[in-house]
Amino acid sequence: MTTIPLLGISVWLIVKIFVLLGLVFYFVFALVVVRQVQLMTETLEVGFETQLKILSYLHLAFAILVFLAALIVL
Amino acid sequence: MPDIFINPPEEKKEAKTPSPREKHKAPGYTHNPLAAYGYLPDKVNFETRESEEKVILLLRQHPITLLPKALVTALMILAPSILSIFPILSFSRLPPNFQFIAVLIWYLATAAFVIQSFLPWFFNVYIVTDERVVDIDFYNLVYKEVSDANIDKIQDVTYKMGGVVRTLFNYGDVLIQTASEVPNFEFLAVPKPDKVAKILQDLRIEEEQEKLEGRIR
Repeated sequence: MTTIPLLGISVWLIVKIFVLLGLVFYFVFALVVVRQVQLMTETLEVGFETQLKILSYLHLAFAILVFLAALIVL
Repeated sequence: MPDIFINPPEEKKEAKTPSPREKHKAPGYTHNPLAAYGYLPDKVNFETRESEEKVILLLRQHPITLLPKALVTALMILAPSILSIFPILSFSRLPPNFQFIAVLIWYLATAAFVIQSFLPWFFNVYIVTDERVVDIDFYNLVYKEVSDANIDKIQDVTYKMGGVVRTLFNYGDVLIQTASEVPNFEFLAVPKPDKVAKILQDLRIEEEQEKLEGRIR
């Protein structure tokens, strides 16, 4: 039985909402990581900054993709 | 009168600009920005560096300290495949669309773990310049601490290397006592602690020499 009797809402819909909420928080975390990599590379430069910034942006893109996938697929 | 000696014409030799790789042949020199022991590293700059200040050493914790986290990362990457063999432990009880998203979220968590493991290792560095020792620490993603002390304020340098793993991989701790506001600097789990101590000793001798001669640099 996947529907809550009193509310008539599917349990999976509630799970989907919580998953999307969690992914929004993760998106904020990914933004913090991008900003932090920027601050860290301003503090210390060793010739690897471009690669690290690219990795942080890729991580952010992955977080956005997973959010969109959850929005569409679930 | 015949010439006794005629000076042969001088051949003009153009000064050959050494390539970056030829410039430094000192042992321990590396071009690798991920190196844990960088003697005379190139392209190193930090916030409080003066224009004429020369970076002698860039140190990080030995890469072997990342091994436990690397193993956990490998297990996390393989977990969805391995656990699919055991239906109770896998995501098979979920509807197929939730299974797909669950796997994506698992790999997102893995990426977060890798970032949380790598960034502090990479950016927590110990720098020795010709004038100072600098300790840059990022305790978490939003808190950093930068400490430095002049070489001439160093009172004592001790290095410790003990245990099978540390002896095998040649890494240990270098403890520096100073007369500055930060009394102790600890270079923890750095490669070649004996060489680090030797370099610090040479720099201290050079600073004393500069004081005696009245030089600034």
